[in-house]
Amino acid sequence: MTAGTTQRRPLLSMRQITKRFGAVEALVGVDLDVHAGEVVAMVGDNGAGKSTLAKVIAGVLQPEAGLIELGGEEVTVPTPAAAHALGISIVFQDLALCENLSVADNIFLGRERRVMRGGPMDRDGMELAARSILRDLTVNIPSVRTPVRELSAGQRQAVAIARTLTSEPRLLVLDEPTAALSVVQTAEVLTLVQRLRDLGLGVIIIGHNLADLRAVSDRIEVLRHGRNNGSFESATAHPEEIIAAIAGAGRVPEPRWSTAP
Amino acid sequence: MKSLKELFGGGARQFGMVFALLALVLIFQISTGGKVLTPTNVQNIINGNSYVLILAIGMVLVIIAGHIDLSVGSVAAVVGIIVALAIRDWGIPWWLGVLLGLAVGAVIGAWQGFWVAYVGIPGFITTLAGMMFFRGANQYIGKSNTIPVPKEIQYLGAGYLPEWGPNTGLNNSTLVLGIAAIAAVVWVETRRRRSAVRLGAEPAPVWVSAVRVVALGAVIAYLTFLFGGGRVGTSFPFSGVILAALVLIYGFLSTRTVTGRHVYAVGGNKVAASLSGVNIRRTNFFVMMNMSVLAALAGIVFIGRSTASGPFDGTNWELDAIAAVFIGGAAVSGGVGTVAGSVIGGLVMAVLNNGLQLMGVGSDLTQMIKGLVLLAAVAFDVYNKGGRTSIFSRLFKSRGGDGTANLTPAVAGTTSMQG
Repeated sequence: MTAGTTQRRPLLSMRQITKRFGAVEALVGVDLDVHAGEVVAMVGDNGAGKSTLAKVIAGVLQPEAGLIELGGEEVTVPTPAAAHALGISIVFQDLALCENLSVADNIFLGRERRVMRGGPMDRDGMELAARSILRDLTVNIPSVRTPVRELSAGQRQAVAIARTLTSEPRLLVLDEPTAALSVVQTAEVLTLVQRLRDLGLGVIIIGHNLADLRAVSDRIEVLRHGRNNGSFESATAHPEEIIAAIAGAGRVPEPRWSTAP
Repeated sequence: MKSLKELFGGGARQFGMVFALLALVLIFQISTGGKVLTPTNVQNIINGNSYVLILAIGMVLVIIAGHIDLSVGSVAAVVGIIVALAIRDWGIPWWLGVLLGLAVGAVIGAWQGFWVAYVGIPGFITTLAGMMFFRGANQYIGKSNTIPVPKEIQYLGAGYLPEWGPNTGLNNSTLVLGIAAIAAVVWVETRRRRSAVRLGAEPAPVWVSAVRVVALGAVIAYLTFLFGGGRVGTSFPFSGVILAALVLIYGFLSTRTVTGRHVYAVGGNKVAASLSGVNIRRTNFFVMMNMSVLAALAGIVFIGRSTASGPFDGTNWELDAIAAVFIGGAAVSGGVGTVAGSVIGGLVMAVLNNGLQLMGVGSDLTQMIKGLVLLAAVAFDVYNKGGRTSIFSRLFKSRGGDGTANLTPAVAGTTSMQG
């Protein structure tokens, strides 16, 4: 699968992204490619720049320098709304859900459908659409009318991801989606990530658990001190190599795409 | 048990509250020897409490959004004196006086909404200031005098619907209202079934719908005879008609419109709502402004009932309205509550007042009992799931469910969804 996708033009291509906070260099000349139907894991120690990169992609932060191409066209992502319009969605670490509202209400919050312009909400339509999104993800939630406060942490993560799919994004960024989850719930979310790949989305997943990330991703990109510090095929790379790259010891392999024609 | 669940599925919480209210009415009916359910008494209950119930409708939205409004009594008082003086001294027609009053309410609401939504002063502080300021303004503008209001305004607060047409032994206006209400119940039930079919769920068995319609219809029919069967010239009070219209309008607004949804979202999780693109400031501004407009309306209805505007109108109304909302199942932490529940909560307080009075219980003991009822209601809320569900949903849980009973699992892959 990865062998095939590398030959195509990447969905997202970032070149020489640099971002400073005052004197602190959060990102220095970072390169990143994501193809459609590919899951790229971003790993690195705390403060390596993973979340900063995610925020640049999502339009929350602006890079000082660098080039962002989406679907082969150069783009700027000045705001989260602009990212949304470009088909980029992000699920933040702290889930943004209203516990008092139902699953369907949360999925369409802020993007409610109306029966007509200026009219009341199309509740049936939103519930049907929410059900179809959750079914595509094969998420096990009893009813779209269930209040979110009655869901498990894993189910909430699924709702948060389903929220982003209403706008039919091309690229999804998941910031530590399994950080607060139990083992079973983590497995559920990882299955969900694979389903997102099967739907043809490009997925960037940020996390710490190497075993989980190797299992779910096609490629692992390591950041260290805001710089690229290695790119690994998830299926073949040894965990020791990846840990060495994260910690800054040992050899640093060239990113695969830099040697491709 | 399952069929009972289906019977009350959909609006189960409201059903539970209606049952609590009915139980209270029956207890008083028996212990007073039948003095509660007489036409004159029920008409008095509506006339004497409609202004607090109007306030409760606005207050529940404020509380759902996570604020509180302490100024409603003072706002009602200042609007009352302005309307009374404008009609008497400026000679403007009564309807212009009503419009003026509502406009003053809107301006006051915009003022308070500005401080809450755009400056970020907590609603408690903003409206505590408003409570003092507008109480003073009432007494300053009216020079602490009592100003009478014309007949048309009195009709708004204490009038009855007209008598017309053939002699049916009832007030025909009330009869028409009752028939319309029963028709509405049937219509809502058929819509509920159609919606269930559209969502690919199995609608409840026909007998469940039938029992539901017949039970509600019987209650409405009884109320029609009760309200319409009094002495000639009386009917379902006009202030009750205003109240019923507001319940329908605000019930629709809170559950069916984007604005209402956003009020719940802001109260549930402000940060999440904001990240989702909900305009927090506009929502907060709306609930505060809306509250003051309804307070203005309550003030106008009240001066109509008391035939004059005085310097102490509206004292402690804010507390009655807040109590009604919390008894009606709203959560102290915001995000939870319903318009219908709050009005029923207000009716519980009203029936409690009325029944104890008919039993000859003094106002001292009545106050103590009302205080304990409020405390018990909210204690149940806090005890149950950290204050996020109502006392009534707990009391009637075994029969209730939360309206999801009729829905098939979202992701069971129902074949009816494929097409």
